[in-house]
Amino acid sequence: MALETFDLTHATRKHDFAEALIPDRGKLFTCIQCGTCTASCPTAFAMDYSPRLLLRMIQLGLYEEVLHSKTFWMCTTCFSCTVRCPRGISITETFQELKRQAVYKGMEKKIDSARFYQTVMDVVRRTGRMHETETMARWMLKPEVLKADPFRVFGFAPLGLALLRKGKMPLIPHKIQGVDQIQAMFDKAAEIRARKEVSR
Amino acid sequence: MKYAYYPGCSLEASAIEYDTSARAVFRALDAELVEIPDWNCCGSSPAQAVDYLLSLALPARNLALAETMGIDTVVATCSACYLSLYQVEKHFQRDPKVQAEVEEVLAAAGLQYQGRVRVRHMLDVLANDLGPNVIAARMKRDLKGLKVAPYYGCQTVRPYPAYDAPDQPMTMDIVLRALGAEVFPYRLKARCCGGINITTAKDVGVKLVSDLLLAAEGADCIATVCPLCQMNLDSYQHDVSRFLGREIRMPVLYLTQLMGLAFDLPPEEILLNKNISSPQPVLDKVR
Repeated sequence: MALETFDLTHATRKHDFAEALIPDRGKLFTCIQCGTCTASCPTAFAMDYSPRLLLRMIQLGLYEEVLHSKTFWMCTTCFSCTVRCPRGISITETFQELKRQAVYKGMEKKIDSARFYQTVMDVVRRTGRMHETETMARWMLKPEVLKADPFRVFGFAPLGLALLRKGKMPLIPHKIQGVDQIQAMFDKAAEIRARKEVSR
Repeated sequence: MKYAYYPGCSLEASAIEYDTSARAVFRALDAELVEIPDWNCCGSSPAQAVDYLLSLALPARNLALAETMGIDTVVATCSACYLSLYQVEKHFQRDPKVQAEVEEVLAAAGLQYQGRVRVRHMLDVLANDLGPNVIAARMKRDLKGLKVAPYYGCQTVRPYPAYDAPDQPMTMDIVLRALGAEVFPYRLKARCCGGINITTAKDVGVKLVSDLLLAAEGADCIATVCPLCQMNLDSYQHDVSRFLGREIRMPVLYLTQLMGLAFDLPPEEILLNKNISSPQPVLDKVR
């Protein structure tokens, strides 16, 4: 496989990029590029940059390339890389932070995954719990998700029918009593985030 | 023994057989699971991908509710829920500023969490609180001759080495041996099932599940302790068969369903009729 190269002279680089990624901050710079993360990653084969390479790109501040990558969207948060990293870098948490930053900045490449997570959160906000049936339906019917794969719904139909037949797909969502508390928490979290964005 | 029980959203729907069998098994072992009243979704990986504070505040609400029950241990059956609830304490210890912010979010809901409850996976409680001797003593039917591949998945044992080794876990092996079952040497026991990828990137998810099902060939069934692992391994065997170009049929049972069989619990407490892949090969061996 050809070695990936980047033109660092003309690339847009953000020099505090690694520091801004919680929770490791400067620790990301201790990465020795051993590749244990990539070798341990069950979805590395489906990524555009391997986890090892993405960490190097973060070190180099290749902000645009990193946030537009689909690598961290393929991360299943299985933590195999994290428990094996000889430098003790929380790679999984770094990738979670990349998901959040990509969404805030509208730079997400894997729209399907990003919208799925957002749909779950919308359902949780409305009812307090994640109703599987409603989540799947709302997600698949989102215009941009539909556009990405109009036939997806047919791929899931056999499973949906099997679950329905087994009585494992209740159609009416259960709303918890404390749903007002949940909504207040969503609002407060958004407020704190906005407050921090301003002070940054 | 009394535990506050956090079932999680899947156990109300696609994993109803896990909820039912877990409650029944604990009852049979004279351990009490008291459901946390009005619990909410833990947020899991969606919250972690959308809002860091919420990913801690959502589980913290459940811990705050458990605290008011006066029970010091929360038991989670779903591995993703377990990690979400468990890591609240870890993140608080790492960064007191985060704790203060989460407390502010909880206060907006009129709640307060003192940090007095411990979070544990059901597997941990089965293997370490109740233990193989108590489990073996309750057995009515030996699972001798049944080859079971113990599948732990990821967040059951990672990233924190709370009760088992993150790469080479053994707790489920111990429980299975206590039931008299033969433990199949399953080299992918802690490899990820692909999680939500099977929904958002189906070809990737199907590939991962194929690897797991192939590595379990030779076992009579796979045992799981997570609703997402079970769903992925159990419900996509049709897609896996098409992907591999040959038929794959493998019963995938929750550990608590196998325990229910060994304890000779009534069918309505084990709900084997809810599994998508037929568990008949298991029943044929056990009876």
